[in-house]
Parts: sequence; C-alpha cells; structure tokens
Amino acid sequence: MSMKPTLERRDFLRVSAAAGGGLLLSICLPSCQAKPSSKSPTGTATATQRPGLEGPDVFRPAAYVLLRTDGIVTITVHRSEMGQSIRTSLAMILAEELDADWESIRIEQADADTQHIYGDQHTGGSRSTDLFYMPFRRAGAIARDLLITAAAHVWDIDKSMCTTDRGEVIRQDTSEKLPYSYLVPLAATLPVEPNAPVELKSPEDFRIIGTPMRSPDGPDFVAGSAAYGIDVQVPGMLYAVVARASSIGGRLTDYDDTRARLISGVLQVVPLKDAVAVVADSTWHALEGRRVLKLTTAGGPASEFDSQVEEARLMANLETDPESDELIAYYTVPFYSHAPMEPMNCLADARSDRCEVWVSTQDPQTVKHAVLSQTGLRDEQVVVHVPFLGGGFGRRLDVNSPIPLVTEAVELSSKVGAPVRLTWTREEDIQHDYYHPLSVTRVRASLSQVERPRLTRQEARGVPTGAWRAVTNVPEAFARESFLDEYAYALDMDPLELRRELSRPGAPRAVLDLVAEKAGWGTALPSGRGRGIAYHSTWGVTPVAQVAEVSIDTSGHVRVHRVVCAVACGQVINPDTVAAQMEGGIVFGLTAALKRCISISGGQVQQSNFDNYPLLRLDETPEIEVYILPSHDAPSGIGEMANPVIAPAVANAIFAAAGKRIRRLPISGEDILSR
Amino acid sequence: MTQFNLVVNGESRQVEADPSEPLLWVLRDRLSLTGTKYSCGIGECGCCTVHVDGQAARSCQTSISSVAGKSVTTIEGLAPDGLHPVQQAWLVEAVAQCGYCQPGQIMTGAAFLARNPHPTDEDIDSAMSVALCRCGSYPRIRRAIRRAAKAGEA
Repeated sequence: MSMKPTLERRDFLRVSAAAGGGLLLSICLPSCQAKPSSKSPTGTATATQRPGLEGPDVFRPAAYVLLRTDGIVTITVHRSEMGQSIRTSLAMILAEELDADWESIRIEQADADTQHIYGDQHTGGSRSTDLFYMPFRRAGAIARDLLITAAAHVWDIDKSMCTTDRGEVIRQDTSEKLPYSYLVPLAATLPVEPNAPVELKSPEDFRIIGTPMRSPDGPDFVAGSAAYGIDVQVPGMLYAVVARASSIGGRLTDYDDTRARLISGVLQVVPLKDAVAVVADSTWHALEGRRVLKLTTAGGPASEFDSQVEEARLMANLETDPESDELIAYYTVPFYSHAPMEPMNCLADARSDRCEVWVSTQDPQTVKHAVLSQTGLRDEQVVVHVPFLGGGFGRRLDVNSPIPLVTEAVELSSKVGAPVRLTWTREEDIQHDYYHPLSVTRVRASLSQVERPRLTRQEARGVPTGAWRAVTNVPEAFARESFLDEYAYALDMDPLELRRELSRPGAPRAVLDLVAEKAGWGTALPSGRGRGIAYHSTWGVTPVAQVAEVSIDTSGHVRVHRVVCAVACGQVINPDTVAAQMEGGIVFGLTAALKRCISISGGQVQQSNFDNYPLLRLDETPEIEVYILPSHDAPSGIGEMANPVIAPAVANAIFAAAGKRIRRLPISGEDILSR
Repeated sequence: MTQFNLVVNGESRQVEADPSEPLLWVLRDRLSLTGTKYSCGIGECGCCTVHVDGQAARSCQTSISSVAGKSVTTIEGLAPDGLHPVQQAWLVEAVAQCGYCQPGQIMTGAAFLARNPHPTDEDIDSAMSVALCRCGSYPRIRRAIRRAAKAGEA
C-alpha cells in the first residue's frame, strides 16, 4: 500500500454559508506547502537577505473568496499594499481564473495571521506575485468549477457542456446563462468532489491578466478616503508622542515634565524604556507637551560613530594594488533613509483580555508575534489590522526596529487604559530609521581578456541598517555597472557591446537590445548631452536595462532629460502597474543618485526632514519610457527592479557628457567639476 | 482653548482649539477629516495642502486662528457630488501608488488649474514641484494635470 498521501479536495476547500446569503470559499492549497523555516522568529530582513524568502510561519498559501447573492465578489488579500498595487494584482489573478466580472470585485485586507491560514505575509523582496500567482489562479479555478457544477445541476446536464464568461455560467448548447450570484446558494450546499482535477486557463485566453485593469482602490485614493495606519480613529482614543535622545541608541537619563503637565490637553506623561511619552487629547497638545519637556540624555553605543571615518575604514580595508594588466575601481554607496511619506505610527487598544493594533506594516505576522509575547494573551485575543501603507520601501518590514514602535504603543495603551495613537514626527522617522548601509565595493577585471568583473563589498557596522528597496542590489548594480563602463572604455569597446558579450542569451540580452533600440543607442545627441546604459537583474529574477540621457550645467548640476527602461518580468499581470513600478523606481533611484544621503557624526544623524533630506521633485523628473518584454513565463517581481539601475545609467551618462567618472553616490556637482 | 468659527467643506463648524494650533491637526484630530495628511510638519512636502478661500494652503503651517471666519476645503469636500476634473484625470492616468501624498497633490493641482486654466507644460512642472511623492508618481501627475487642463478647455 502506498504511503503517499492523496489530496482530498474537501480538505482544502471549505465552503460555508456567509452572513447575508453568501458563499465563502476558503481554499487552501496544500500542494504548495513548503517546509517550515528554520529562520529566527523575528523575521527581520538583514541587509544581505532577500526579504520574504523565508518567514516565521509555514508557507501555506490559502485564498478566501466571498461570493454573494448580490453579485459582489470579495477577494481577501494578505500581502501589504504600499503602492505596488499588489491588492489589485492578486485580485486580478484570482478573478481571471474565476472568470469574474472585474466590476464585481471588491478587495479585503487580511489581518495578521498566525494560524497558518494565508501563508507568508512578509511583503518584501518583490515576492508577492511570484509566490502567489499559482495559488491564486488555482483558487479562482476551483471556485469557478464549483459554480459550473451548480449550474450543471440546475440544467441537469453534464459539467462539460458548461462554460463561463464574466460572472456567468453559459450552457453551450442553448446559450442560456446563469449568473454566479444566482448559483451561490446552491453551490454552498454541493458536495465537493475529492481529487477532481481543476483546469487552468491557457495564457492566450487571459482577458484580465495582462490587461491594464483599474484598481478598485483608485477612487478611495483620489477621494482621500483610503485609510492609512495614521488615519484610523477609534472611540476614546488618546494621542501620544514620545521624547527620546535624538542620537542613535542614545539614552534618556532624566527628564523634567513640570511644564509639560501644565499644557492644556496633556493628560499623562509616561516613562518608557529610554524614552518618555506625552499622552494628550490631540496630536497637537501631545507635541506641545513634548516641546517643553526637559530631557537629559547620554550617548549610546554608537556615540563614536562617524560616517566619514567609517567610509575611510571600509576603503582602507579594501584598497589593494592592481595586478599587472588589471583594472580596479572602488565605488561608494552611502547611508539612505527610507522616508516614506507616511511617518511611522501605531494605534493600540490594549486591555486585560484583548489587544487590538492598527499598524502600517510589511510584516503583520511578526508584529502579532511581538504583541502576543508582550501581552501574554492568547492568539484569538490579539488582532493586528493592516491599513494601507503610506509607502514601505523596506522600512515597514520591521516596524519595531530600531525603536519598538508597536511595543511602546501597546505599553502606553495598557498604562493609560485607553486606545492610544502613537505618531512619530518626520524628524523621528528620519533619525530613528534603520538605514541602507554605507558600503564600499571593490571591482576588478583583467585587461588582457574580457571577463566578468569580480566584486568585493564591505558594509558599515555599528549603526542600525536594514532592507531598503532592492537592498544589496543597489551597491552591486552601481559598482558593477559603473565599472563595466570604465572597463569598456579601457578595452576600447562600446559599453553596450561589452554588456551584450557578458550577458546571457534570452531575457537579459533581450532587454539590452530592446533598450538600445528604443533609446537610439549610438545615434547623435544634442551637444552637451551624454547617454549612459546600465543593466541589472535584482535578486537574479527580473532583468532590467536602462538608458539615461543627461546634461550638466556650468555649476555641475545634473539634469536627467530622458530615461528609457526595458524590463523582462515574465507573464505581466498588470502592464500599467509594471510601468508605474519602473517609473517610480527610477524616481526613487534618482533621489538616491542626485539628492542627499544620511550622514552620521558622533552617533547623531545629521538630517531630519525634507529640507535637509530632499526628495526629487516633479520638475527634476525626466521623461520616462517603459517597454515590457512579452512573455508567458512565470511572473517575477517588479517592486525593487528599477531603482538599482538608474544611478549607474546616470553616472555613465555623465562620463559620456563630461568625461568625469562618478564612483560615489550621491553624485555631487563638485565631483563632476573637479579635475 | 478658544472657540473658532469656520466653514469647512461648505458647513459651518465651531472648534475649540489653541489659537496657534495648525489647521492640519484641527482637521484630522478634531473634525476627523483624515484625507489631509501629515508628513513633514514644516511646509516642505505638500501632503497637507487644503484650500483656504480657494487658495492652496499648507495646513501644517496655517494656524486655526488665521482661518477663523474663512472657508476651508479639504479633499473630502473638493467635489461634494462626484469627482473634480483633477480627480477624474487622476483615475484615468492611474496616478496613485501608495496614495498617501495624493490628496495634497490633487488639492495643489486643483488650485493651480483654477488660477491658470490653460497652463503650459513648464507651468505644470513648476506648479506641481511644490508637492513631494516618494513613490515617484510624478510622470503621471504631469499627465493627469495636462489631461484635466484639456478637459477644462473642452
């Protein structure tokens, strides 16, 4: 007798009646189960890991589809929405196989799930689409199959005589139609056939996947009604801000709250570990109370840290004499802050027998584990809601680091006996971040033969660093792609030709050829302009090539006029979203390339707000063209794929325009004008 | 605490606040109009942009006492019955990514087009550069404002 377990379909498809006469399908797909991870339970993404590859929970994809008799189809999405439009993409994938009418689709955001229902919620590493493409397709197909079975019962015909189109089952011989909404009550009572195979659509038949569908969230975004973490309000809620040493890991040794307590609206001043919170009846009063607190602080373990000294140390570690006939160069990428537009914040309602938390997070499961361990409550007593994220970029992968934001909010709520909204100011958001790490990369290659360059990178230590959109791909792409340009000139080769020679055939070479063709590589440019090319496949999964056109004015100011981008991401789910992620990634990368970085002196971050940590503005934004390589291969991620490529493309364009090599970010006018 | 009378989205409102309290926090905390966003608090980013008597204003830099008796419009009241042409253009161009800065962008764009209904591309770039977007939706903001301007000409 075979010991191989058979898949019993009733084990993974649960049909239940929903309130209001609906049909709730909870579809679990054990065939996609992976082994539990052996990784540490914190789930923290370090600077060298691809976030989302491993998680604290068993990877067990499940999908929830709620079909109602009024025709509305609600799809539950468990990955965090931070602008990558994942709610729309995952809903599109399921709606495609369900053959639903897109207008009938509604999206619901899953709470943190520590019961292994949805699978991994750790929204990082550009993994959501590739991890959940097949599970969501299968879920949609299973739901569709159940509705067809119901229709076949009604008509008393064989299932094979039925097909579907846009939310209706169609009887092929008579063209009669039954809407899904009509079939829902019957489908809810049907026995589920075990082991019945479920058929997936052929990509040629896709009508939602691969189409620029509008996001169901769009109207809420333009009406101001989309609720981010910072917007959630509950009855009886109080407002808190926290005062602490502004330096990295700095300690609060004493404080005087005499004046703060006199501010109208200030209700309590609550000491926390190395911090003190002002709790008030409004954010403004809490801020006013904090303003007049007298703090006595001391430096922390990073009080000697200086980013310039650290950079020199990394450089000294790496510096070496070139072999004969060898090209060596060193590239520096600095500290960057994430600076999402929504500053870090958390709302907590902690009581003796339950705790509810609302926090914009990329990793709700880790947040829930932290709250469970902090409160000692049982799983069902803790709820972590995930509102929209006002930007993520890796910052919200660990919202409890380096400052325990959620833990402090829960502690405050518990201490004052009311729901507490804890809000960080922009200054705290920038000064208490975990940063993209400062790094120096040495790149070397032989001049006597064409070979792939060898990279060695050293990263800063001693201050909090972590995942920042594309993580290690940023310094890797900047160093390798800048070097390849130098290498090409040293070998007297065209930079495109060198890359073609070193690239693998297939998608990598195809994006190079596509970008070269669309950008007019090798054609004449107006005088004073230069063109640069760069290529990178972030996490080795999504080849992207870009060509930037720049000019430099007499003060050394770089103007990027045009960027052409080619991307190969397998089967495109929503081409408009792919374009948006490429455009957005390029703008994000241009801020890193052309604006300021984070510098640290005596353990103190020198930047604090958008006046001294500026972002690219609209009038500095180039015209951006995006071209997608057509494919029906499995989809690969797009969120982190564009930003690593633009800095080397611009740096190489600066060399073409002005003959000056850029080996350090951010690019400075002084560096360009220096001889 | 002082009592202030103002008109918010066409409705008379009375609020108790400190005279120096920024309009931003009055709107968000006291009137639960959370479409107006906090992001920098120093008037650099534009996320908190509202209209005061039809003019774009940074609500984080606008004290409640300075708008007493005035008419304030927030994103919630920009088009009480449907969508403003700028909001419509925003949907067509699928501008929003995370969406957080978008109410401020839309309020900036709507005030700009009211003042300059036939802008050049340079006018648009200059006017919309006062509002920051970390997701990088700028190329689409540009297109949406052009589209809304064109719709106004039709």
